[in-house]
Amino acid sequence: MSGLTTTWARLTPAGRALAVLLPIVVIGGAGTTALLVAFGGAIGATIGANIPIVRFLAASVITFLITVPTAFLLIYMEMKIIALMNLRIGPDRVGPFGAVMSVVHGLKVLMKEDYTPPSVDVPVFTLAPVVVYTASFMTLLVIPFAPALTSMNLELGLLYFFAVGGFGVVGLMMAGWSSFNKYSLLGGIRAAAQAISYEIPLTLSVVGIVILTGSLSLTAIVAAQSGSFLDWFIFRQPLAAIIFFIAITAESNRTPFDNTEADQEIVAGFATEYSGMRFGFFFFAEYVNVFIVSALFSAVFLGGSHAPINLPFHPEINVDLGTLGIGLPLLAGLAPVVGTILCAAPIWLFAPRVRTWQALLGGFLIFGGLSTAAIGVWAVAMLPPVADLLFFLLKTFTLVFIFVWMRGTLPRARIDQLMGFAWKWLLPASLLNIFATAIAVLITG
Amino acid sequence: MDRALARDLQERFSDRLLVPVRQRHDETEIRVSLANAVDTLRALHDEPAFGFEMLIDLCGVDTGDEMQVVYHLAAARSADWLRLIVPGIDRAAPRAPSATFMWPGAEWMEREAYDMFGIIFEGNRDLRRIYMPDDYQSHPLRKDFYLADDASRSPAAGVRNMERAGTPRDATAATAVRRAKGA
Amino acid sequence: MTTETTRPTRPSLDDPRVAIPGSSSWYEPAPTPQTERQAEFLNLRDGEMFINMGPQHPSTHGVLRIIVKVNGEQVIDLDPVLGYLHRGVEKLCENADYHQAICYTDPLEYVSSLFCEAAPVAAFEKLMDVEVPRRAQYIRVLTMELNRIASHTLFQGWMALDLGGLTPILWSFIERDEIVDMLAALTGQKLLYNYYRIGGVNGDLNHEFMSRLGAWMSRAAKHIDSNLGLMNENELFVRRTRDLGTLDAATALRMGVTGPNLRASGVPFDLRRDRPYLVYPELEFDVPTRTEGDALARYLVRIEEIKQSIRIIDQVLHEMPDGPVMAKLPRLIRPRPGRAFGAVEGPRGVYGVYAISDGTDQPFRMRIHDPSFVHLQLVGPLTRGNLIADTMAVMASLDPVMGGVDK
Repeated sequence: MSGLTTTWARLTPAGRALAVLLPIVVIGGAGTTALLVAFGGAIGATIGANIPIVRFLAASVITFLITVPTAFLLIYMEMKIIALMNLRIGPDRVGPFGAVMSVVHGLKVLMKEDYTPPSVDVPVFTLAPVVVYTASFMTLLVIPFAPALTSMNLELGLLYFFAVGGFGVVGLMMAGWSSFNKYSLLGGIRAAAQAISYEIPLTLSVVGIVILTGSLSLTAIVAAQSGSFLDWFIFRQPLAAIIFFIAITAESNRTPFDNTEADQEIVAGFATEYSGMRFGFFFFAEYVNVFIVSALFSAVFLGGSHAPINLPFHPEINVDLGTLGIGLPLLAGLAPVVGTILCAAPIWLFAPRVRTWQALLGGFLIFGGLSTAAIGVWAVAMLPPVADLLFFLLKTFTLVFIFVWMRGTLPRARIDQLMGFAWKWLLPASLLNIFATAIAVLITG
Repeated sequence: MDRALARDLQERFSDRLLVPVRQRHDETEIRVSLANAVDTLRALHDEPAFGFEMLIDLCGVDTGDEMQVVYHLAAARSADWLRLIVPGIDRAAPRAPSATFMWPGAEWMEREAYDMFGIIFEGNRDLRRIYMPDDYQSHPLRKDFYLADDASRSPAAGVRNMERAGTPRDATAATAVRRAKGA
Repeated sequence: MTTETTRPTRPSLDDPRVAIPGSSSWYEPAPTPQTERQAEFLNLRDGEMFINMGPQHPSTHGVLRIIVKVNGEQVIDLDPVLGYLHRGVEKLCENADYHQAICYTDPLEYVSSLFCEAAPVAAFEKLMDVEVPRRAQYIRVLTMELNRIASHTLFQGWMALDLGGLTPILWSFIERDEIVDMLAALTGQKLLYNYYRIGGVNGDLNHEFMSRLGAWMSRAAKHIDSNLGLMNENELFVRRTRDLGTLDAATALRMGVTGPNLRASGVPFDLRRDRPYLVYPELEFDVPTRTEGDALARYLVRIEEIKQSIRIIDQVLHEMPDGPVMAKLPRLIRPRPGRAFGAVEGPRGVYGVYAISDGTDQPFRMRIHDPSFVHLQLVGPLTRGNLIADTMAVMASLDPVMGGVDK
């Protein structure tokens, strides 16, 4: 026993880690292999028989993992863009231009005390952020990033989106009710009222598009907008686009419709009593929501992954690498060196004050940039999903920017103006849009 | 200095002015007794010859011998401030009529005077402490106020250093109260 | 080892809450009503509840607590609770000499503290019968108007912030920062200047102040106009403030309202013109008034006042005479017994000091009248029946500063 202890004490940290991990890996690997040998066929058959379920699980996990960096990116965007609009500097400490600041914020939120106030309804209070976050990332499942990059191509994609997205308000209501706080209660009730009011024009505004395409599948809707940008639904259904944009602003609780967390009135609304990562979930869910509604808008109205104009040429950059033979490893080894020196040469020649290593570093960076750009161009040209994804993200982030811009510019609407606007203007307008579309379809056949 | 205003005031209120109208710089000062205060205020406000529609300030004054309530009024007709002093209020149980019947905005100023001097304004609907806590016992701007003396009666007595009980060694009512000479 | 002793029945002697035995939560028992009005306020009808805003709340302009009685979103009644910032300045001034008293009044309205100095200084000068040198009068007008602009630009930003707009406050801080730096170059401090003295000002204008002022004046009007575009042409802002908290002239007079709030209701009462002090009678400026009396009108009147202040500064810079900046006065101020009321037109209304001298070197009584204190009374009457969000909008449009309210 004591021998074991002394041996353990003599080990370096790496050795200790190895001593712990090695048996686990060996035993686990052997066990897994044995299991696969014994039941491999059965497992394969089960997976093969239940592909949709496996696909759903895998897609859910991937979307869940995607949301976190997306939220970090959006939070950084909002911090930086609003700071620049406010004539501030904004985050500038962590990472280049403070780009990692939001990640650090996330870590900070993780490390904070997870405090449950006394007198809250503990199960509901604990579940509320989970519900809100789940509802927001589950809607990401049906977003058609590209024809080849759609997690779940549901036939009722649009309906699924509204149904699951509307589920988030249940979480807000749970948070508001269980917090035992009047601000939270008011915030929760406001969230419920706002979501119910704006769900209706939101859903009705896309009915015209459903009439035109004859499908609720988002992939089909995107496919119906192929061609030039004039085929996008924002030009064929402008009224619907306006209604839809206003409604998604309200749905994602963004300025000027952020009454649920109006800090001048009800402190932080439903999130008043939350701290630590539970608050972090609400916070993340808001930004994930912004991304998702922007993505939905660009899918439904901005042609999704289609390019604004149909590119008339498809460049064929087809190099058969196999023909190079021994030249391939030579090229792979020499190209960075030669490229770096070639790029460094002008710096070194024309800027004599720059030291040699600085010139070389600059040359390396330039070469890296150039080759990355070349590979990117090649990928866009050769791999359609990459180009599609690029266009889709371009449109989506333009919309995200518009959301941030609105937050930097507009004051908040009052709750009665907000509700009145939904019921008195948006609802009749969306009905009008449906009638006009239906009549147009009838006439033109 | 608005001589015409002084003349008008002297004529109109000659029956109730305690001392003749005083003027200094841009201020005109009249003094009326407690019984005539409401009538005088009403006359100053309502009569078109005066038209003092604005109550700029209302405050209490403790002269050491008596309490006073001081009103500062402004009117469009004159560039003078009119100061109406109601002297001779009993220090032991100060009571005065409220001005809220005419100027609802005087409510808080009366609450402040009540809080600071203990003057009870009859007719004010909301006469309670405005600055000090509800369980505070004394009235801080009175000339016989000691922090320590009051703290010994407050619920926090002896807890915080600031409010530890104890009066100045030679403090008696006679030596401590500062009395105004010319006020 | 008992669990009772770990939790005292009173958590702190300052805290009137009590513990419920056997429960882990605190509750605050309803206070016993002391007056008729409070009893009426504390009486909750069906569907009503109290919401407590402050003393720690994002939009109370300082440390103010407002108990709001709401029915859903609708405000039924509200009761401001003051005193969280009460420092007893009047009592402190009674125990200080006349110069020290000016220091005490300085931090009252910390947004525009030159006006808090100007009022007691005016009162003491009346007590001393001293004439301020003309150059000092011009300097006072100049610095006060600068401070008025600083205060009004800050108001503009706060108003937008209370309506949920993030950007205008930071834009308006550009002008305020510039003015504050300018005054710091003149007085040595950024917030509490302590610049006016009985009989003059503390030090003549210096080079840094004048050069900064010149640079700022050349672009001030343009900058302020560009800031305004963000709010005045904003449909949401205009819709939220128009017809909100409408105050008619008669009510305003009866409530003792002064300053821009009164002028927004259509009463053109401005001390600078109606009770001339310093060199204001010789300067040319308009008194902007509006007749609507709503929150938007109160906002627009202040914006117009910024422009008039720039106009006044322009004239002052052209007409400023040379000469001394302090009158000859004894070092120890010991006025004859008497009473004086000194008032100036501050950015929020009439800022007055009523000083009584008993012949010693300390004021016998120093009453400080603050316009914010009076205006805060209006929050209740003006928001009754509106929504919770309007409480903040109305309060922002009345522009109270809690440092002045709580004295």
